[in-house]
Amino acid sequence: MNDYAVVIKDIKKVFGTFQAVKGISFNIKKGEIFGILGPNGAGKTTTLNMILGLLKPTSGSITIEGYDNVKNSIKVKQLLGFMTQETVVDGYLKARDNLEIFARLYHVPENEIEKRVNKALEDANLKEFADKPAGTFSGGMQRRLNLVKSMLQEPSILILDEPTTGLDVQSRVGMWDSIKKLNDKGITVILTTQYLEESDALCDRIAIIDHGEIKAIGTASELKRMVSEGNILEITLKPEDIEKAKKIMTSKFNLEISTRGDIIRSNIEKDSMGLSIKIAQYLEKEKINVLAYSVHLPTMDDVFIKLTGASFRDDTSSENIASKARFRR
Amino acid sequence: MTLFNDSITIAKREMLVFKSNLRTNIIRSLMFPLIIILFFGNLGTSVSNVPVAIVNLANNQISNQFISTLQGQNIINIITLTNQETALSLLQNGEVTAIITITPSFPQNQNGNPSVYIYYSNSEFSTVSAILPFIESTASSFGSSVQQKQQQTAPIVSSNPTTGASSNYRDFIIASVIIMATAFGSIFGSGFSIIVDRQLGTIKSFLVAPINKDAILLGKLLAGTLQSLLYGILALCLGFLFGAGIAMGFVGFLWILALIFFVSLSFNAIALIVASRIKTVELYAIVAQAITLPTWFLSGAFFPSSSFPSFIQPFSIGDPLTYATSGIRDVMLSGYFPLNHIITDFSIMIIFSFIIVLMSFRLFKSTID
Repeated sequence: MNDYAVVIKDIKKVFGTFQAVKGISFNIKKGEIFGILGPNGAGKTTTLNMILGLLKPTSGSITIEGYDNVKNSIKVKQLLGFMTQETVVDGYLKARDNLEIFARLYHVPENEIEKRVNKALEDANLKEFADKPAGTFSGGMQRRLNLVKSMLQEPSILILDEPTTGLDVQSRVGMWDSIKKLNDKGITVILTTQYLEESDALCDRIAIIDHGEIKAIGTASELKRMVSEGNILEITLKPEDIEKAKKIMTSKFNLEISTRGDIIRSNIEKDSMGLSIKIAQYLEKEKINVLAYSVHLPTMDDVFIKLTGASFRDDTSSENIASKARFRR
Repeated sequence: MTLFNDSITIAKREMLVFKSNLRTNIIRSLMFPLIIILFFGNLGTSVSNVPVAIVNLANNQISNQFISTLQGQNIINIITLTNQETALSLLQNGEVTAIITITPSFPQNQNGNPSVYIYYSNSEFSTVSAILPFIESTASSFGSSVQQKQQQTAPIVSSNPTTGASSNYRDFIIASVIIMATAFGSIFGSGFSIIVDRQLGTIKSFLVAPINKDAILLGKLLAGTLQSLLYGILALCLGFLFGAGIAMGFVGFLWILALIFFVSLSFNAIALIVASRIKTVELYAIVAQAITLPTWFLSGAFFPSSSFPSFIQPFSIGDPLTYATSGIRDVMLSGYFPLNHIITDFSIMIIFSFIIVLMSFRLFKSTID
């Protein structure tokens, strides 16, 4: 029990007639980076809001560091650092004031406030901008300010709601580095994300959630193994060679294949390396010009497609239904 | 104690946001009062050549002297000397603003009745109230007194605005301008702040912090009250700038502060209750106007509430701003201490604020969905 930072037992959340979360249970170990991955409207934010104590679960319980988050909400909130999906900084206020106000709201001892604010400004690389209004900052700077703001009370668990959504590639990598650094110091990190590569690069364990249910939970490689024990073979060919190559793959090697543009894909369950060498040799013998040839483990994309039956849905579907249900209430 | 400290922190944040927009906030809060004082405050203050008809029933030497003294200044312009009947029809047609009737006994008062009568249409009250002091002083220099008579002619707009006090319309309207700056500042300031904070996610980050929800309400209420109190004081200073004074002096100023404090407090609480239940700025702008404009007009902003039609009277009596406005008018316009008025005005404002603030603890919705 004490190895877990967060213990979630069968939580459900119903908005009117809409069931946003349909009985989720999982544990988050101390010191891990735990990713909650899912398309828009899957129930990620609702789950986070329940962990944060912003929403009361319709049923079920959440225990954080041994404290029930409904009964001991003030204590639990002190343990949690949170960065919202929207970048919340007071644009009119100086970076320093932004930090100081939250240090006070998190009851940082009076004599520590200045020290921690300065440290936070340093960590965020914003020291020289400390007395500038936060509204004049770039998106990346605001996000950094937001991150150090959520760390002021030195929480043991950091919750990040889509920390890199809308950031450019450079800022995103910078944010990943910051998250990893915090995690190295022993802070448990829970993050939601829509980006498959983010969960792959960052998370120790991932829960894939869709339609308010957990579809799978495990490390990235465990999840990938669920798709296939073996490897994915991808062959890129000239268009005129595709038909011929397909025929070879299906009749000679007895593989199931799929094509996308000029790429032939196949899932090789057993002896994938040996077989793919044989295929390559055979194709060369048949004088088929192979442009690219790759054998790799299934990606998170493959996992996702298998588990949710589709690639990421667009914004319109369930999120809107959820918000309408809330309006009606 | 933590609740108090957390409220102060939230209030401090609100004040910092307010400060960073200080110039915009002050200009916005003073624009409307300035326009009102300039447009309405000068009604009838510098009139000249007001057309009047004179009915001279005395027709003696001294009454002719009186008429020529009146004519001597450029304040009134005597169009005709005629009989009462013709004069009344001129008044009816709007060709003259008032009729000055000199009774046969002029300059002596007859049986205690004044010897000079002024007839005017209700719609001309502001002009008449501007020329009245001149006519009165002229008449009294002849040892006579003046009686006003309103003529039920043209559409009734209002009665005599100078509710028992000797002053002009500008002084009358400054009390309601102070109330307007305070009440409007409360409703729009606090209301928009909470909606914008929710849209930007600031409320969410407050709710995630280990603080009591009431601290958010209290902090916003405190900061909002301070801000609209400042708007009220600025409007009062604007009034001073245009020549208004406080008849009761410094004590009167303290009374005014107390009254606008209660207006600020209660209207900020109303704004927080209402805005916490509305999602968009656009919708709130409509609701805010629906709250501020009727309560302001019903308070007797432009003319005494006693001259409202009878079906509106109960609404005016139920409007808390009526008492705040009349309280400010009492201390600004009358030099004496109208104790019974002040007790009524204050107790109503205190009870109203108390109830609304209590209600706000129950009705302020701090959830994020």
